Amino acid sequence: MTTALTQGLERIPDQIGYLVISEDGVLASAGELENDERTAGVMMQMVQTACKFRLHGTADPPFKRLSVMFEDHAYLVTVSGQKVFVVKRQNNQREPISV
Amino acid sequence: MGCCYSSETETTEQDRDERKPLIPHPNPDSKTINGTERNPANLPSTRTDEQALLTSILTKTALNIIDVSAADSQGMEQHEYMDKARQYSTKLAVLSNTLSQKKPAPLPSLTSQPHQVLASDLVSYSDMQQVSKIAAYAYSAISQIKLPAVHIRWSCNNRQETRLQNQLALYRISLKT
Repeated sequence: MTTALTQGLERIPDQIGYLVISEDGVLASAGELENDERTAGVMMQMVQTACKFRLHGTADPPFKRLSVMFEDHAYLVTVSGQKVFVVKRQNNQREPISV
Repeated sequence: MGCCYSSETETTEQDRDERKPLIPHPNPDSKTINGTERNPANLPSTRTDEQALLTSILTKTALNIIDVSAADSQGMEQHEYMDKARQYSTKLAVLSNTLSQKKPAPLPSLTSQPHQVLASDLVSYSDMQQVSKIAAYAYSAISQIKLPAVHIRWSCNNRQETRLQNQLALYRISLKT
């Protein structure tokens, strides 16, 4: 079952680590996120908070993916079948972000 | 003197009696040797003493024992059991309801194809810039709302105040852009 879950994640371009989390804890992890319980906890809280946002007249959260962007890498999070999938990918867009 | 002595022997007899086995020794010869100084008339009184001791030991033991089965059979009838069981199950149901409310809401499924969603392109640079710009405007607008609010509060109600604040914020944003 774990292999089926993670097979697709391995093939994601520029992937440098991933986590599969259920409400009970981490189900699978690899790369830079291997056994990273702390990141798993933070991502779980972020996605739980994001899922509380609702647009008027919609029952479901109005997004498919949560992106946490950094200058050289990004965390991408989605939920499917009561499991939270987190992938850490390299961010190759070199332009500086000016705030 | 003699009286004192006899009473003394009696107390020691008592102590010894307490440590004696409850079933007397089959050969009472030794007792008669020990009790040679005593009057034969004293014998029935010793027996009653022994009886009293045994009774006191019995009472003490009875006090120290809690007979659960006896307490159960005394206390409750069948229908009382049923009533209590019903009461407890209702209370438990109420508790479990409040417990489930405290649990975080189950996560909604955002997609049926997580791998595809995660593999698609990252947020573009221009989108990031736009989001950063909007966030910066919002931040500056919020930081400017506070000062005029102090003056407005004197002359209008809450709804009017909010409307004015919003108008002011929009005005300031449009000035900047």
